[in-house]
Amino acid sequence: MRVHLARRLASLYPASWRARYGDEFAAFLEDHPATPSAILDIIGSAMLEQLRAARDFHMDSRQRTLVLMAFAYLAAVAAGVNFYWTVNDTPLAAVMQSRVLLATSFRAVALGSLAAFAAVITIALPVTSWIGLEAFRTRRWRTVGRIFVPFGAALIVVIWLIAGSMATGRHWVATPWDVTGDWPAPVEWPPLSIRWTMSSVTFVLLVCGLLSSAVAASQVVRESDLSRYRGIWFRSTSMALAISILVMTAGVAGWGWFAQQYAAGDFHSRNGGLFNSTNIASWAASCLVFAGASLTSCLAVRSQRRTSSPSKLAG
Amino acid sequence: MLLDIQEMCGTRLGPGTLYGAISRLERDGLIEPLKADDRRQPYRLTAEGRHVLRAKLATLYQFARAGLRKLEA
Repeated sequence: MRVHLARRLASLYPASWRARYGDEFAAFLEDHPATPSAILDIIGSAMLEQLRAARDFHMDSRQRTLVLMAFAYLAAVAAGVNFYWTVNDTPLAAVMQSRVLLATSFRAVALGSLAAFAAVITIALPVTSWIGLEAFRTRRWRTVGRIFVPFGAALIVVIWLIAGSMATGRHWVATPWDVTGDWPAPVEWPPLSIRWTMSSVTFVLLVCGLLSSAVAASQVVRESDLSRYRGIWFRSTSMALAISILVMTAGVAGWGWFAQQYAAGDFHSRNGGLFNSTNIASWAASCLVFAGASLTSCLAVRSQRRTSSPSKLAG
Repeated sequence: MLLDIQEMCGTRLGPGTLYGAISRLERDGLIEPLKADDRRQPYRLTAEGRHVLRAKLATLYQFARAGLRKLEA
């Protein structure tokens, strides 16, 4: 394996691990052939070590709250995007025109998403600006780079979607919700194999983008001293985020219930689900991720409440 | 080390898996590094590691013996 590649792979491990094994591991890799299975094995092991390091890392309550909020919000974004694209441009969207309860559930999700965005921006904007300026002033370029990871990830997805759309004559956008289904694909669209491949790339970019954004956000928070901010900021915004995500979760669950009552046929067909799955399966996936996001956001609130409770402070 | 493991178990470990095991064993105090030999980093069992390995091998031995006895019965 080339020296540069060996060093690059060793750099995927957490700093504490690299301090002990970094040099000998890189030297060991240089004598090892760079096969795809070896590289995948190293990436997988590095991820496990990162998880272990994150678990062992001590964070104060403010840092823990922010990290949990970041994970909860990004999970809610993933679930919300999947829900929106499952419903968008399908007969279920038309059913919502005539069914008030179905439309109300959908609006609850939309309202919850706006409130969640507002809660996240309220805390993220001042905190990120301050961390960014401090990092820039003290020349911590790694931290500055991590702050831009979510924007970079979003930019890559957008560029990929625009490039894909232009490559297919602007007739089709490579989203995993528009591959195939119980509908005839327009003749202008690219062949099915191309649609599967391109939408799979989009899916991988979305998942990697969300994961790398969550990891980068948690790394930035862990490296920062947040004691200059008052606890009320974290309590109020984590509470607002948790309520917003709970509203979204209830809205999505209710929407599925009403869809089953009013449009069971369309709900069970394949015309909007992720990767040609049925709409109900795609909806269930969103419900599951929303449930995880709700739990995580409640843990963020609990993390603040535990710190502020009188018995804890007295202890 | 990878070749030794392959010879003994018939399985070739990936480099990440091997170093994951090394770091875990060292963290648990079962192995310790020796002085580096050029580019090779040798390790050896600690007293605790020797004790744990002996217990594991004894269990495996009893397990294999009981299994073989059942097969032959």
